[in-house]
Amino acid sequence: MSVIKANNIHKTYTETAVPVHALNGVTLSVEEGEFTAIVGPSGCGKTTLLNILGGLDTPTEGTVEVANTDITGMNDNQLINFRLQNIGFVFQAYNLIPVLTNKENVEFIMLLQKWPRQEREQRAMELLAQMGIADKANQRPSELSGGQQQRVAVARALASKPKFILADEPTANLDSKSTANLLDMMAQLNKEEQATFVFSTHDQRVIDKARRVITLEDGKIVADITR
Amino acid sequence: MLVKIAWKNVWRSRSRSLVVIGSIIVGVWALLFGSGFMNGFLVSYMANIINHDISNIQIHNPKFKQDFDVRYFIANGKAKAAAVRQWPGVRGATTRTIVSGMISSPKKAAGVQIRGVDLKNEALVTRLDSMVAEGTYFTGIKRNPIIIGSRMAENLGVKLRSKVVLTFNDGHGNITAGAFRIVGIVESSSVAISETYAFVRQQDLTKLVALGDIVHEIAILTQPQTDEAAIITRYRQTYNHDLVESWRELAPELAVMNEMYGNMLYVLMGIILTALVFGIVNTMLMAVLERFRELGMLMAVGMNKARVYLMIMIETVFLGVAGAPIGLLAGWLTIYYFRMHGVDLSNYSEGLEAFGYSALLYPYLDNQVYFIVTLGVVVTALVSALYPAWKAIKLKPVEALHKL
Repeated sequence: MSVIKANNIHKTYTETAVPVHALNGVTLSVEEGEFTAIVGPSGCGKTTLLNILGGLDTPTEGTVEVANTDITGMNDNQLINFRLQNIGFVFQAYNLIPVLTNKENVEFIMLLQKWPRQEREQRAMELLAQMGIADKANQRPSELSGGQQQRVAVARALASKPKFILADEPTANLDSKSTANLLDMMAQLNKEEQATFVFSTHDQRVIDKARRVITLEDGKIVADITR
Repeated sequence: MLVKIAWKNVWRSRSRSLVVIGSIIVGVWALLFGSGFMNGFLVSYMANIINHDISNIQIHNPKFKQDFDVRYFIANGKAKAAAVRQWPGVRGATTRTIVSGMISSPKKAAGVQIRGVDLKNEALVTRLDSMVAEGTYFTGIKRNPIIIGSRMAENLGVKLRSKVVLTFNDGHGNITAGAFRIVGIVESSSVAISETYAFVRQQDLTKLVALGDIVHEIAILTQPQTDEAAIITRYRQTYNHDLVESWRELAPELAVMNEMYGNMLYVLMGIILTALVFGIVNTMLMAVLERFRELGMLMAVGMNKARVYLMIMIETVFLGVAGAPIGLLAGWLTIYYFRMHGVDLSNYSEGLEAFGYSALLYPYLDNQVYFIVTLGVVVTALVSALYPAWKAIKLKPVEALHKL
C-alpha cells in the first residue's frame, strides 16, 4: 500500500530575480515499510521534495497524496494538523526543545495528540530504551552528544506512530560512529515498528543502508533503484 | 505543557529576563509610590480643610449664604445640632453664629468673618483648640476673649492680650461694636483660618447681634468611611427647610482635585506601563526572532498556530507579571513605612503651607489602587504579547527551519 504518492511535482521559486525551478515533474510513490533515501548533489531539490512530501511546502504544480489524502489543497492549519497525525520529522540540526528533558521532548507530539499521561510516558521510555538512551531521559538535550540528540529526535518522530518519517540529512552533523549507531537503530525500528523512513542525504553510509535509493538531478528523478 | 515550556522559556536568557523583570519592579514601585505621594498631598490637603475648616457637611438657612445677613439664621439650630450628634456616623456637630465685619487694632483695620463658636463642640469638630500656637483656648480672660490667626495678628500688629475692636451690623441693622482681648493665636495652613476668621464665644457674639441665641451654621464631622449622602438625606427628610451641603459643594475645588488625582493616577500609570510595553515587546521580539527555527520546528511537527500564539502570550504574561508582585510589595512597604514616619518636607514647608499643605506628608493609597495596578500590569503584558505572538505565527515552518 502506498503511503506517499507524488504526481508530476513542480516547484518554482519566483522570489529571486531569475525564477528557480527546484523540481521539474517528480512522480514517485513510497510503500509502507520502505527505507528510502533520496540522494543527489547539493541544490538538486532533495530538501524541496522532502518539504513538499511532508506538507511543509506546497508544489507549484502537481499533487501529493499521503495515506490516500490529497494534501496539496490544504490550508496552513489543516496541514499542521495533518502533519501532527500522520508524519514524523527528523531534522539535520535535531531541533529538540532545549528547555524540556529528553523524555518530555519525546512525549511532546503525543501530548499535542492528547495521549493519556501514563501511555505517553510509557511509550516515551520504551522508545528511549530502544534508542539506548533511557538513562538520559531526565537530562536536557544540551547534556547529550549530537548522536544522542539525534536519537532523541528519532524517538520523538516515532513516538506517535506516524504513517511515515521524513528525515532531512539526519546524519549531516554526526561523526561516523554516531552515524552508524543511528542508522542501525533506524533500520531496526523500520523492521520492528514497520516504520516507513524517507531520507534526503548525500551521506554514502546512509545510501548504503537504504533499501531504495532515488536519485535526483536538476529537480528530476534520474534513477530509482530498489535493492 | 505549554505553561511549563513558557515558564522555562522566560528563564532561557536569564539576564535579559531579569532586566525586564527589574524594570517592571521599578516601574510598579514608582507608580505606587508616586501615586501614594500624590494621594498623600491630596489627603493631607483635604483633611486639613475638612477636619479644621469646612467639615463634611454644613447646614445654613438657604438665604444666609446669599449675603451673609445675620437675620437669616437656622430655626432651632442648637436643638437640631443636638439631635444630629446622636445620629450614627456623626462624630461631632457644632453650631456657629457668623457675622461679617471689621476688626481694628490701634494700628490697622481689616475685614473679618467673626465666628461665635460653641467651645466644646468646636474643639470636637475642628480641633480649633489644637491649633492654638500661642495663648490658650478661651481661658485666662473672662470678658470677651478672642482668638485670631497668626497672619491676621501680624497684619494688625497685635499680640497676645492686645485689645481689638469688632464692628458689624447687629440683627436690627444698627452698627455695633465690641472690644475683645486676644486670648490665643492659631497657626494653620488654612488661609481662611490664618487670615480671615476671628473666633469668639458664641454667647459673647449673640449678645451683640441682639437676636437671641441664634445659629447661622451647623458643621457636621462624620466618622471615617461614613456615607455623607445618607446623613444629608436624613437631615433633609427631618428638617426640610434648611440648606444642606457636603464638602464637595462647599469646596468644589476639593472635589475637582479629588477627581484630578484619579485621572493623574491613570496618566501616571499610562506613562509607566507604556514604557514597560516597549521593554517587554523588545525582549519578546528578540526571544521570538532567536527561536525562529525552534518555532518553525514546533509548527512543522504539528503544533498549531493557536497553541504557538498561546505559548508566546503565556510567556509574555509570565515575563510581565513575574516582577509585579515584588514591585507591589516594595511599593506597599515603602508607602507603609512613610505612612508611619511621614515624608519630611519641612525644607519646603513655608511654600507648601501657603497652599494649605502640611510639611509632613503621609503617602497613602487605597487598596483598590493595588488591584488596578495589578490589572494594569496584566493588561500591559497581554498587549505586549500581541505583536511578538503575531510575528511567531506568521513565520512559515519551511523557511524558519532553514534559518541560521
